Amino acid sequence: METYFLKSTDIFKFYDRIASEYELYVPVRVKTPVKVKCEYQSHLPTDDYLLKKYSEANKEEVCFNEYRCVEPTARAFFTHFKEEVCDYFAHPPKEAKDKPIALCGVKNCDIFSTRIQDFVFLGGIDEDPVYKARRENALIISGDCPNFKEACFCRAFEINPHCNEGFDFNFSPLTDGFLVDVGSERAGKLAGLIKDMLVPAGFGQLSGRQAKRETLIRQMESHLAHHKIPRKETLQEIVLAGYNSKIWNEEMFTCVECGGCIFICDTCHCFFLSDEPRDGNTKRYRAWDGCLLKNFSRVAGGANPLKMRHMRLRNRYMKKFDFFVDNLGVQACCGCGRCIEVCPGKIDIRHILRKLYEEKHLPAV
Amino acid sequence: MKKNIYRPFEAVVEDIISETPTIKTFVFRPKEPFSFRTGQFIELTVPGIGEAPFTPSSDPNITERFDVTIMKVGRVTELLHGITKGTTLGVRGPYGKGYPLDKFYGKDVLIVGGGVGLAPLRSLLFSLFAGIDKYNKVVLRYGSRTSGDIVYKEAIPEWAKKKKVNLVTTVDVGDPSWKGNVGLVTTILKDLPVDLNNAVAIVCGPPIMMKFVTMKLLDLGFKPEQIYLSMEKSMSCGLGKCGHCRIGKFYACKDGPVFTYEELKDIHDIWD
Ligand code: SF4
Ligand code: SF4
Ligand code: FES
Repeated sequence: METYFLKSTDIFKFYDRIASEYELYVPVRVKTPVKVKCEYQSHLPTDDYLLKKYSEANKEEVCFNEYRCVEPTARAFFTHFKEEVCDYFAHPPKEAKDKPIALCGVKNCDIFSTRIQDFVFLGGIDEDPVYKARRENALIISGDCPNFKEACFCRAFEINPHCNEGFDFNFSPLTDGFLVDVGSERAGKLAGLIKDMLVPAGFGQLSGRQAKRETLIRQMESHLAHHKIPRKETLQEIVLAGYNSKIWNEEMFTCVECGGCIFICDTCHCFFLSDEPRDGNTKRYRAWDGCLLKNFSRVAGGANPLKMRHMRLRNRYMKKFDFFVDNLGVQACCGCGRCIEVCPGKIDIRHILRKLYEEKHLPAV
Repeated sequence: MKKNIYRPFEAVVEDIISETPTIKTFVFRPKEPFSFRTGQFIELTVPGIGEAPFTPSSDPNITERFDVTIMKVGRVTELLHGITKGTTLGVRGPYGKGYPLDKFYGKDVLIVGGGVGLAPLRSLLFSLFAGIDKYNKVVLRYGSRTSGDIVYKEAIPEWAKKKKVNLVTTVDVGDPSWKGNVGLVTTILKDLPVDLNNAVAIVCGPPIMMKFVTMKLLDLGFKPEQIYLSMEKSMSCGLGKCGHCRIGKFYACKDGPVFTYEELKDIHDIWD
């Protein structure tokens, strides 16, 4: 893989070049006045990042995000919350007419999640044509995480806070610019067009990056040590062994059934098809759905296998840590912590996994 | 032209047969070439309203028409019961794996049906009858709630007369006009004329009925891998994507809807 150095002052030239061919999304910072309570560490950042269309963003607000954005990046840009997927009997399949997208600010947890989304929308018995068109044409511009939030726990599942694959470009921030990895043929062509901005990375720069990456992993691991999250190899075993545990019930007391966790999740993917009249014709929509919602598994006639809230919570974990481990070989959770931050009931996946583990085994290290 | 997996094709309702006060059989003429294997299901679209999954109840060897037998239980089925001949509906599919007929060759095929669960089984029966020489015998046990709830009333006596067929019916609740057996379908599973060492059992009906029949069959000595179950689950896409129909590590739409009990027995709460 080729790696170059790009000066900070050239970043907008780079963006402009990408934006001439793609609908480019870039991270913008949202200041949060709230400080996350954290007993053992007070310096973890709390600001958020959103992805905004480059064409609509002010240059001053565009930034390099220190960690993943709020949006479930691997999911929200390839399937929309609710979108038309078919014009009924009135033929031609919907083609994505839009300009291809380029996503900046993608982190390694998001890259991990694209594996789950690809498995669902490109696998199954057939490909989803809308997803496929968007996904194949999208340019992924990822970046190292120079920092992390309290809720981040990617490393607990051995997912690094920097990317080694799955991107077109990857950005690693240095003091006066970025190291830019060129990860695909498509990116290589683009890099060829902006040769004047890119200089081959020096050995010092590369080893500097390596040192930064290692330091961050160490910091994160000392943070995660407080949470005692079970190792990924044990996840399937503990959710199966804990099927009849009281934990599901105890942890669900504060759920208000808002659906936040399932909609903010980068690895959740469920949807339903709904038919609605539009413009004198009927259209079919694909809309996000999820198992924390009451009617998710209700059948015609009214029977509902997930009628109680604790069954729905358990279902989510069975899907993520049993079904996906069996079918794809990896858990459907990237450790992004989005569900932890969104939940008004303060329901915390790290805590639930730890309790399941401790109930079945000796206390975690 | 690339295929759109979410697009239904048109099918015209040619005939509507009233089976019971709450069950009707709809005869469809598909406007695009369509065929299915017995036990596979389709998604039926009521234009502008939505879809629901059904297993065709007709002979899979007939491709210019297909039947769907539908009980009025929910929003979509209620609307379906209101439609008239000539209406155009939408169809996606067929989906799923269906019944593995080749695994039944040379065997005693026990079929246990409950209520409207006889619909998918009728399609299976047609397939078995069409190649009856390949099977040792067909033993059908069918239970419905009352005599008024029996589907395919005219056909059942005809099937009973066919060679290699042994057929017994029962109703849960008797009435003066009913001269046959009274009792749950499990009560007519005694003294089955089947050789346990060379038999398969196929069960289709409401979840609670399937549960008790499965338990009974295991009691009788059937092995989990000899029992085939049609699993009813909430479904939307039929394609193994939407996540609604998960049973353990399977999706009912893509890996089923027919499973052996062996495949399901270690999964929690399969009957719920
Ligand atoms: S379950 Fe929570 S932590 Fe895991 S991928 Fe989903 S939102 Fe992120
Ligand atoms: S975000 Fe929290 S409160 Fe909302 S549905 Fe999920 S678990 Fe329940
Ligand atoms: S019906 Fe959508 S996954 Fe089975």
